[in-house]
Amino acid sequence: MTAGLHRVSARCGVGLRLPHLAEVVASRPPVPWFEVHPENFLANPHAAELLTTIACDYPISVHTVGVSIGSASGIDRSHLGRVRTLVDDIDPILVSGHLAWSTHAGDYLNDLLPLPYDHETLLLLARHIDEVQDGLGRPYLVENPSSYVGFGTSTMTEVEFLSELVDRTGCRLLCDVSNIYLSGHNMGFDPYAYVDGLPIETIGELHLGGFTVEEDESNPGAEFLIDTHSARISEPVWDLYAHAVRRFGPRPTLIEWDNEIPLFATLVGEAARADAVAAQALDRQVRHAIAG
Amino acid sequence: MPSLAEAQTRLRAAIVEDDAAGLLPLLVGGHEPAKRLAIHQRHYETSLVTALLGKFPAAVWLVGAPFATEAAREFVHRHPPTAPCIAEYGRKFPDLLASRPGAERLPYLRWFGELEWHLGHVAVAIDRPSLTMDALAALEAAALPDVSLVLQPGLRYLAAPWPVDDLIKVYLSEAAPDHYVFEPAEVQLEIRGARGEFRIDRLEPATFVFREALAAGHTIGSAAEEALKSDATFDPGRALAAVLADGLAAAVNLPSQGAGP
Repeated sequence: MTAGLHRVSARCGVGLRLPHLAEVVASRPPVPWFEVHPENFLANPHAAELLTTIACDYPISVHTVGVSIGSASGIDRSHLGRVRTLVDDIDPILVSGHLAWSTHAGDYLNDLLPLPYDHETLLLLARHIDEVQDGLGRPYLVENPSSYVGFGTSTMTEVEFLSELVDRTGCRLLCDVSNIYLSGHNMGFDPYAYVDGLPIETIGELHLGGFTVEEDESNPGAEFLIDTHSARISEPVWDLYAHAVRRFGPRPTLIEWDNEIPLFATLVGEAARADAVAAQALDRQVRHAIAG
Repeated sequence: MPSLAEAQTRLRAAIVEDDAAGLLPLLVGGHEPAKRLAIHQRHYETSLVTALLGKFPAAVWLVGAPFATEAAREFVHRHPPTAPCIAEYGRKFPDLLASRPGAERLPYLRWFGELEWHLGHVAVAIDRPSLTMDALAALEAAALPDVSLVLQPGLRYLAAPWPVDDLIKVYLSEAAPDHYVFEPAEVQLEIRGARGEFRIDRLEPATFVFREALAAGHTIGSAAEEALKSDATFDPGRALAAVLADGLAAAVNLPSQGAGP
């Protein structure tokens, strides 16, 4: 296990993906912290070994993509046990996952799939989050999803559902600002109202990722947004991020880039912009307070 | 209103089996939820096909990208992943690839794909400290046949009726010859790797049987018996010494008390 002395930083970190692993090991770039998907390392002992060395010098956040807290067929305890082993090895500053499901009766569907927001789902997720927090021995942050479809049977908004989950489990929230913007566009809600509805004290981390735009064939002239994590952060998302920082205060923020992965320097540049946007948003807030 | 389990069964059917009839009445989103659902359907297929093609670049080189892509599409719908680590997905892809119409012109394809699968896995392994002869010598000689060995994690064995090791070396050389004669010939391969490196060695048949049996968890005695069946002149003592000298063993598993003959 690493020294365990790392603290959560409010500065912007970057997602560490396998193509950049050797470069990071060799050059030790000036990045405040990294986030990793444990599923990329559990089947790659060599990469996991390198990650352990990186964890000696950098705070690491573990962002699970395969724990599937929304699966009606239950949590995969074998996978959870493997994640626990990695978590024990690198002693991360944060551990998080998604408000979604991906496994069904033994099949893993390699996606973050939507859930109906109703009482049955709430009870199931509360039970599973308890199980995950017990299994990992630490708090779990739950991320709001990127949405293209929802269930007509939902009886709660996503914000209401997340707030209930927090109340019932003591989990915290990972607020993916890009997902809020994207889902608001696709599903027709106001992303600023969504941010304003989240319980401030529960926000443990912010995410920023790029999306791609596609024509909506069912609605000529309209577009929908796909959460590809394959592009720079869009301008409207930077604006929403500034709003989120003003509302939540400084929070550790992460740049995610998972497809068509660019040079590492590009990620560092996006992280620097996030720091600048956050600093400006907070500075403006202070000036307003003084003037007001 | 269907239960959550039922809704997820329907969503799985829509994604894996392209059967969305039971799901669509439950969905909202856009003018046509089916178009939005197609994003998830497309992601499932595209992400897994990309993962498979990325895992078998030599097989793609051999059969061509269109053939491999069609096979991968069939594979992901017939055999969804069963675990969240996608790096572990695709073990059976060479079987399906070799069973597709048109693959009969490449009768060695299954073993070629299997060799590539093994290479991908041994290359990301980590070697453990090797078991020394002294450590084994500390055991009572009479107990030795009932001992099994834990071999290095980055070690695999493959027997093939074609010299697929030669063919994959052609791929790795990145200099495909204009003309290449490829004839059947049985090979017994030891594939070993760690930390980004790998090597492929051909073994004598009896040595292969011995080491493959050890890798499968057989006791030293049982592995030696198997090897002697294939070659009466096989020398177990010398073979065991070679296993240790080559650094293939990482630990011993002692027989549990009372389990002996």
